[in-house]
Amino acid sequence: MTKSAAATLEERVGQIETTPSIPTIFLPLLNLLNLPPERVKLDEVVKLVSYDNTIAAQCLRVASSPLFGLAKSPDSIRAAVISLGLRRVETILLTCCLGNAFPTENWPLDPTTFWKHSLGCAMVCRKFSEKLATGDSDKAYMAGLLHDIGFMVNCIAFPKEFAAAAAHAAQEQIPFDQAERATMGFTHCETGRELAQKWHLSDDLVQVIAYHHSPKESQGHRPLAALVHLSDLLCRMRGMGYGYYERQKVDLMSDPAWAILLAEHKSLADMDMALFSFQMDEAVEEVSELVATIFGAAKAKN
Amino acid sequence: MSTSTPLTPLKAPAKAPEPIDPVFRQVRDLVYKVCGIFQLEEKLYLMADACGRRMKAVGAKTPRDYWDLLTANASREAELRQLLNEVTIGETCLFRSQPQLDALRNVILPELVQDNSKQIIKRLRIWSAGCSTGEESYTLAMTLLEESERLLKGWTIEILATDLNDRSVETAKAGIYGDYALRSTPELFKRKYFSKVDDKRLQVRPEVQKLVSFSRLNLQDDSKMLFMKGMDLIFCCNVLIYFDGPSKSKVINHYYSNLNFGGYFFLGTSESLLNLNDKFRLVHFPGAIAYWKPSLKSGSL
Repeated sequence: MTKSAAATLEERVGQIETTPSIPTIFLPLLNLLNLPPERVKLDEVVKLVSYDNTIAAQCLRVASSPLFGLAKSPDSIRAAVISLGLRRVETILLTCCLGNAFPTENWPLDPTTFWKHSLGCAMVCRKFSEKLATGDSDKAYMAGLLHDIGFMVNCIAFPKEFAAAAAHAAQEQIPFDQAERATMGFTHCETGRELAQKWHLSDDLVQVIAYHHSPKESQGHRPLAALVHLSDLLCRMRGMGYGYYERQKVDLMSDPAWAILLAEHKSLADMDMALFSFQMDEAVEEVSELVATIFGAAKAKN
Repeated sequence: MSTSTPLTPLKAPAKAPEPIDPVFRQVRDLVYKVCGIFQLEEKLYLMADACGRRMKAVGAKTPRDYWDLLTANASREAELRQLLNEVTIGETCLFRSQPQLDALRNVILPELVQDNSKQIIKRLRIWSAGCSTGEESYTLAMTLLEESERLLKGWTIEILATDLNDRSVETAKAGIYGDYALRSTPELFKRKYFSKVDDKRLQVRPEVQKLVSFSRLNLQDDSKMLFMKGMDLIFCCNVLIYFDGPSKSKVINHYYSNLNFGGYFFLGTSESLLNLNDKFRLVHFPGAIAYWKPSLKSGSL
């Protein structure tokens, strides 16, 4: 990227921060998510949820959806939070926050496709991390959920260029980051990184957002970036991609990310990756339902 | 690795019309561990149905009784085989796995054509192993014919289709199929590659039949297996699930040496090699997996 292009990029991403549509609760929520689960207080979460009407309504809707099979619909935010569980509420909050923050009309991708990919990747990251006993599967989940946040930046800051990149990707059936590089000269990794730094996300998350397509370049967080990279690829191969046919063969074991992860977690060598892929298929339907529930009413409104 | 934990914590307990006995989940995991065939959580009712039919046949009163039968040393192999028959029943049809065919046409063929472009004889050799009544073999033939004026222009296509069962082979040769076997066949293919036999049945046209040669072969016959050389692709769907561990390993080793470098081996859509062979490389395509014999130039041997 040239110097002037980099400056434009920074400037345009800078404007996003002043976008009024970022919910007030977003940054406090991120801080909460960075705490170890035992330090998260129920009352604080309830307070955050209650602060924003749209989000409160979305939480109630998810809690009353058949997806969770509760005997009766929760009648208060507090009841909803308790019945959903803190971890799930955090996910819903974050998804709603980001989903509401970004207007749907600029999307060259179907937003539900994007969220299916992000939530799916988050779940796969968590499961992958559990199988390898990395010790921090919640972090892996967050990393998966946020890895493509640069897509949202591109939608807002570079709507025309990004639409062209999306069209190019679908037309040529190539990976999205390749299409971005070819048409825009930069990718969602770079714009995502700008935003993540502005939001003061923790360094490991910044690194994942910046290097999930090139984990080797990460400084200090290669294994997490590698885990997200492999989970991302698997999602795209198992029906949770960007909504077009990606014409490629994925050979996980000769991917540099595999070696990075293997060096850290020897048990990777014994993992039955075929079985892991089949199990992923079980997540697809649930992820779709969750996304539809969260965004169902918002979509109807538009 | 355990198959009992679902991938995601977001399970929907109210979705299933009636709760499925957890024993069937155990049966599902056993079937994967022994045979390498996976049943999705949402298809668990199919496993429960199959078990139900077997329970009736053997007179098991409860799922727990049936589990005991499946795990008792004396009866496990025979009963597991019977159960597999029930599980895979009615699965055979033409165009059964579109993602596999898409991977073949969009990714693998271009790669094979490029890798072999310098060879004087442009020939593609495919083996449909355990072809049963020919559905898969003809599906492959039609898929490749679609490329005969483009990617495969000037190429010779040979599809060897083998099965242990003489009667299956005879039925396959006739190439006549009814509605059920044709339920996934696109209309375009029906018009292009079939002719009408009567109101209910269609027959594969001679130009498709010409590409496939059917014969009887026992996959456990080592001397015969040695002759099946020079394959670019091997398809063996839901066949190895009936083999015990050592026989399965042996057949897979044969497949590995039967394949050319850079060739691919496909199992059924939810079937895995269970890490039985570490020379094959598991590769992913959109919606499909395959096992790859790395090409010499890939430097990954």
